Amino acid sequence: MAKGKILIVDDSEMNRSILADMLEDEYEIVEAEDGLQAVELLREQSGEISLVLLDIVMPNLDGFGVLMAMGQNGWIEDVPVIMISSESGSDQVAAAYDLGVTDFISRPFDALVVRRRVVNTLILYAKQKRLMGMVEEQIRETERQSGLMIGILSHIVEFRNGESGLHILHVRRLTEFLLRALLRKTDRYALSDGDVTRISIGSALHDIGKIVIDESILNKPGKLTDEEFTVMKTHAMKGAEMLDALEGQQNDPLVRTAYEICRWHHERYDGRGYPDGLKGDKIPIAAQVVALADVYDALTSPRVYKAPIPHERALEMIADGQCGTFNPLLLECLAENAELIRQELADGESGEAMLHRESENIVRQSIRAATGAAGSVSDRTLRLLDWERMKNDFFSAMTGEIQFEYVASPSMLIMGAWGAQTLGVEETIMDPSRDERLREVLGEDGWGQMSWEMRQTTPEQPTVSYDSLMTYNGQTRWHRIMLQTIWTTDTPPRFEGALGKAVDIHDTHVKLAALENKATRDHLTGLLNRAAAKERIQERSGACACGSRTALAVFDLDGFKSANDSRGHQFGDRVLKTVAERLVRSVRSSDVTCRAGGDEFMLFLECKTDLEKTVDRIFHSLCGDFEGYYISVTMGVALSETVGSDFEEMFKAADAALYAAKRAGKGRYFFYDESMRDTLAADREKQSGGQQR
Amino acid sequence: MTLQECYEAMGSDYTGVLGRLRSERLIQKFVLKFLDDPSYALLCQSMADGDAETAFRASHTIKGVCQNLGFTKLGQSSHDLTEALRSGGGPEAEALLERVKADYAETADAIRRYAGQ
Repeated sequence: MAKGKILIVDDSEMNRSILADMLEDEYEIVEAEDGLQAVELLREQSGEISLVLLDIVMPNLDGFGVLMAMGQNGWIEDVPVIMISSESGSDQVAAAYDLGVTDFISRPFDALVVRRRVVNTLILYAKQKRLMGMVEEQIRETERQSGLMIGILSHIVEFRNGESGLHILHVRRLTEFLLRALLRKTDRYALSDGDVTRISIGSALHDIGKIVIDESILNKPGKLTDEEFTVMKTHAMKGAEMLDALEGQQNDPLVRTAYEICRWHHERYDGRGYPDGLKGDKIPIAAQVVALADVYDALTSPRVYKAPIPHERALEMIADGQCGTFNPLLLECLAENAELIRQELADGESGEAMLHRESENIVRQSIRAATGAAGSVSDRTLRLLDWERMKNDFFSAMTGEIQFEYVASPSMLIMGAWGAQTLGVEETIMDPSRDERLREVLGEDGWGQMSWEMRQTTPEQPTVSYDSLMTYNGQTRWHRIMLQTIWTTDTPPRFEGALGKAVDIHDTHVKLAALENKATRDHLTGLLNRAAAKERIQERSGACACGSRTALAVFDLDGFKSANDSRGHQFGDRVLKTVAERLVRSVRSSDVTCRAGGDEFMLFLECKTDLEKTVDRIFHSLCGDFEGYYISVTMGVALSETVGSDFEEMFKAADAALYAAKRAGKGRYFFYDESMRDTLAADREKQSGGQQR
Repeated sequence: MTLQECYEAMGSDYTGVLGRLRSERLIQKFVLKFLDDPSYALLCQSMADGDAETAFRASHTIKGVCQNLGFTKLGQSSHDLTEALRSGGGPEAEALLERVKADYAETADAIRRYAGQ
């Protein structure tokens, strides 16, 4: 076993090293000196840390804070925490237990106790995890296997009978449906949930006795002769005998139930059925229900000797007693739920149907293998499909692409084997909008976005691609998702589904984002640079052209050059940073802030009702002392209502106002007005060479 | 001077700590490290600054360390101070600080004598 890693969180180095000394022979130790560090370490190394020893009183974030963070991030379920404390107040102990603490160690430490508690806690956690895993695995495997075995067995019978592949499935669903309806109606039959499940599973075996009936009788298109019918009738008893001969399994509850069903599913409620002529409730309820389900589905399905009969007609025939006599209570259940039953059987796809298909495929394949019939077209197609599938999986594993298909109705996402394994999801995801594991991968609204993207396509423009975060293997990374939707050839075309793939583009994405940031930001202050700000401002003015008020302000620092000269460039840089911070603090995040160059800044505000007051407030928040240097700014402001919302016009006007403010004596702000127009352009040209800005 | 005599000189219980930590080497190591722990300086400073919250944590740490090392006397006085500071300090805390200072001096003195030989 690998050395476990223990995180010791205590603000006293002495206490940490005492604990570390006690444990370091057997465990790898990491230490944190306060709660914040601890949370950081847990975040970085989650999954590696197997236990936390946690102090309560600590600076920055105390032990309770750490526990809450562990709870919020779900770590507390996987990482046991032992609290260390000399605090023995029972309130604190109770609070700590509530937050998920496993155990306490109190000061002063006893080396033996500390080691023992740590070992015990680790063993307990490991054992619990292993047991949970084992039980889950076993249940799933057992269910899958027995479902599959019964499916295979009953399909063998079906194939021989030439029945539709769906008969077994229909009988099974109808049986369960009728049983539930019966239990709602009466308490005459004491059946548990387990009994209901057993009877529906067992129903799949009702005709296994037909395996011994000669095929010429079984699949005879016309009416059977009396002799043939006598042979046919033996299938009930034969099936029961087969089950009874199961060595050592005869008393298994499922086998008992299946026995009842096989033997008595051709009995009649009036006592005129076969093989035993049982009457009324002498016939086990399991067999009664399956008999009715069998008759209904036989009537509504096509057979070699007849065409399918419509649902309504079949119900009438059963009610009239043309197909035998049944328990009146069951007939009521059938009649009362007729519409529901029709829907239940019509809406084909479900988890069960998938399993059904799986077993049907196995049977088809083994029949092919057994008979060596390789020549038919469908075989060839199947082999080609398999080949394609293998090829796809191979290529997607090689390129790291996750490929999938989406079927719109019923809503179903089908992943390639490699993709499913990589993402940790099922290969077939029924109703993806509700799939928990898919949600973990795509994020809370990930499926919603994918559906939305698909809906944006048309048969003429069926492709779409977008970037999205995906989480698997413990990592969240950017992926590009590419989709091609598929449409029917009807008029108008109907949306059928989509093909798609997701490609990891995280590294490129991150690099691009960093580059974009570099290209648009001033690296000293983090404000936008002039070009980026201009672009952003033009977007904004375009977006809120609906008469809302905007303002553009430009300002620079008074006497910045002399401060730079007398106290050095580094000080100058700090002044610029401080001005930028004050600026960002005094505006809303939707406003645009910019360092245009040197000590010159630009600011764009929008949609404020009282722009004058806002400008005044911002102006004053910029000014003030900084390390003995008084920051003072001169500002010019242009309002959209005066000069319109064109960026260049606003900028020129703001610059003119700035110039006017400077001439009036710095340390102030001016709003642009018409009086500044003419004089300024001329003055400006005269001055431009002379003034250092 | 043996480690046991050092403990006796600071009014503390050597047998108890040996029972818990089970190794003279370990005890020796931590006793010698005790004087490097910054909590005492932090306590004095924060008390002088009137910063009761930091003083509480520093005092709490001293108490915890003392409990672990079996420094009974200093452990008790820092415990009392911790409790007084938990409720915000005041004149009572000032008086208790003096006791902690006296006990710390005695403890430190004993450790220095033990280390110096």
